[in-house]
Amino acid sequence: MSNLNISAIKSRTYDAIVIGSGISGGWAAKELTGKGLKTLVLERGREVKHVVDYPTAQLHPWELPNRGQLKAGVAEANPVVSKCYAFGEATEQFFVKDAEHPYIQEKPFDWIRGYQMGGKSLLWARQTQRWSEFDFEGPARDGFAVDWPIRYTDIAPWYSYVEKFAGISGNRDGLPQLPDGEFLPPHEMNCVEQHFSQAMAKEYGGGRPMIIGRCAHITQPQPIHLEQGRSKCAHRTLCERGCPLGGYFSSNASTLPWAAKTGKMTFRPDSVVHSIIYDEKKQKATGVRIIDSNTKQVEEYYAKIIFVNAAALNTNLILLNSTSNRFPNGLGNDNGLLGKYIAFHNYRATINATYEGYLDKTTDGRRPNSGYIPRFRNLQKQETDFLRGYASGFGANRGQREDRNGWGEELKTGILKPKLDEFWSVGSHMMGETIPKESNYVALDKDQRDPWGIPQLRISVDYDDNDVKMTKDFFEQLTEMYTKAGFKNIRTYDSNRTPGLDIHEMGGVRMGKDPKTSLLNAWNQLHQCKNVFVTDGACMTSTATQNPSLTYMALTARAADYAVKEMKKKNL
Amino acid sequence: MVEEVERVEELSTRPLSVVEAPGAQLLNLSQLPQPQTIIMQRREALAKVSLLLGGALSGPTLMALGRLGNPAAAATLRDKLNLSAQQKQIIAEVAEMIIPRTDTVGAKDVGVPAFIEMMINDCYYTPEHRSFMAGVTELEGLKFLQMSAAQKTDTLKQIEQKAKEEMKAYNAQTIKFGDNQDLESMNAVKLGLPFWRLMKELTLLGYYTSEGGMKASFEYVPSPGKLELTKLKPGQKTIVY
Repeated sequence: MSNLNISAIKSRTYDAIVIGSGISGGWAAKELTGKGLKTLVLERGREVKHVVDYPTAQLHPWELPNRGQLKAGVAEANPVVSKCYAFGEATEQFFVKDAEHPYIQEKPFDWIRGYQMGGKSLLWARQTQRWSEFDFEGPARDGFAVDWPIRYTDIAPWYSYVEKFAGISGNRDGLPQLPDGEFLPPHEMNCVEQHFSQAMAKEYGGGRPMIIGRCAHITQPQPIHLEQGRSKCAHRTLCERGCPLGGYFSSNASTLPWAAKTGKMTFRPDSVVHSIIYDEKKQKATGVRIIDSNTKQVEEYYAKIIFVNAAALNTNLILLNSTSNRFPNGLGNDNGLLGKYIAFHNYRATINATYEGYLDKTTDGRRPNSGYIPRFRNLQKQETDFLRGYASGFGANRGQREDRNGWGEELKTGILKPKLDEFWSVGSHMMGETIPKESNYVALDKDQRDPWGIPQLRISVDYDDNDVKMTKDFFEQLTEMYTKAGFKNIRTYDSNRTPGLDIHEMGGVRMGKDPKTSLLNAWNQLHQCKNVFVTDGACMTSTATQNPSLTYMALTARAADYAVKEMKKKNL
Repeated sequence: MVEEVERVEELSTRPLSVVEAPGAQLLNLSQLPQPQTIIMQRREALAKVSLLLGGALSGPTLMALGRLGNPAAAATLRDKLNLSAQQKQIIAEVAEMIIPRTDTVGAKDVGVPAFIEMMINDCYYTPEHRSFMAGVTELEGLKFLQMSAAQKTDTLKQIEQKAKEEMKAYNAQTIKFGDNQDLESMNAVKLGLPFWRLMKELTLLGYYTSEGGMKASFEYVPSPGKLELTKLKPGQKTIVY
């Protein structure tokens, strides 16, 4: 090998490579650089610098040309992403348009993606509920998927670790099914939310609590948040445009600038990962092959350890496409289970009602959060004809209407004199655990390629009978709870919406104790290729009912700590 | 179960939150009684005032933005409106009659006529382009600009009444569901929405989201910093977040 090649290789060699800069990749970058590793962060999209690259964040309503509406043709050209509640004139720059990255829906699946520095951490719903022991022991107790190789006590200190840095607001509710964390002051419930919470306490004796959600908003900045340059959330509730205050946690506001400050991070945008390079002699991964999305040139980068945080389904895609003589079916895929046991959250059911109390009150302001009913079904033991259960949101608000009849001065005056509704509107949505199954899978298509020449992903994910039964139970139980709280005009609605729109797709590279039935061990290492770690949604063995991002953050920090310790012991 | 709770022949809308409004979801639910029924799901506002960012648009006008969820309609041509100076004057005159200058600014003061033209061009499809132009042409034929104030008022009343009749074909309904969502449904009618409907709602949207119109009418508080219980004081301006 010539000296030139050696120096070229050296210039492309790092201690660690992180694939992806979203919510888990940002944490990998922060932890690895913080522990002194020279780290390359590969991001397939463009650079989005905190504040300066949030073009709509500070716009007043009159500064949005179409006043928030999409231009004609946008929704039709994007039948998938335009279904997402957060996609609009002020936010569309942070979403992947359907044509930009094609995939194959063997069964209907709305794959919502954010390809840019920070990924979907700019767009997430910011709910951060811890998992409990009930969730980690679920598969073993109820006989589905495989046993998690970790328990709550393994991850609890890492929840605390990430919560303190990210800034999580919440109330210490003392619930075993939803453990308390390191909380900043909680948001307030309004009077009708308090009424419902108290009614549930009275009617179910603590069995069905309704609490204020825990969320990644800074309600009282601590020195660690000020040090990140972040400040108190101003309740603008324009979060998905990017927050100029850093009021909510995102990679862009928090972990990535922190990693950059160490001087150890190299951030490479426009880097579509093709595959992970496996060296048969060394019996480990040696680097990552990318395609520069601007030049279409293939390039290689090398490192001792690789963190795969490309977002659940893209992490599956990269591993499936990382083939070698040793791993002809994808990296670490000796058991043929890579890409299988994909699961998600069932969000198809909603319920709505009215409450005719507290009519002398309304609310002033906004709140980037809502009430939360942790899972109560099948919690202590199996009690229904379906497995697991659901968490639910809860919100109450006092509507208001203007008289918009006629035109001229009459109309102008009518609009200035709105009338409050003679009731409060209340409602809940379902967040159901789905059971991972081998028949819910992703795979590479044999023929069709994406614009970078990489095989397209085939997605085959669907509801099953368990989901249908659970949806029915949600309607029955929430109707009972609403009735007991004195709510009227109760209506239920099954949107039957396509999986994917929950944006909680998980699995395919699941953790487990046995290499025969899982891909990752208790430290998120590939069983068969120990210097590759997967710590995004792909690693999830089961889904529980909690919004998953906080758990990805904690697993990532835990795995990074382990990886560096193993490197120091020369085990990696 | 979908059940009717409110008919939307007269303008009556639920508020939209700033971000979610444009992401209004178009679904064509086959289980509904009429296969030609279009369903749209949209977030209801946590905010108080419904006139901001799409909240001024009722279900039908909002759904027409996505041309009723019909991709074929989107593929049809979308010519630019080719408005003569006189036609632009007619639009301006009608907008000003809907929101006249009083002790506060009127539609023309805050650029509503140009806003309407832009919105029809940018955000609506051929059926609404045609129905809008038909309305403008009709007023032109009636020599609207030369009418006395009383004649103009009579003419608009007739157009308003006709629009109400035409809207019946859409059978538009609003249903509340979920913790913060509305469901809107209407029949998939191939005709564009009536001129009057588009004029009135786009005037409201343009006016109350303009800086002048908003600040003259409401108390604009973009960073409320709180959510708390309150009682509105008599005579207090409505707060806009």
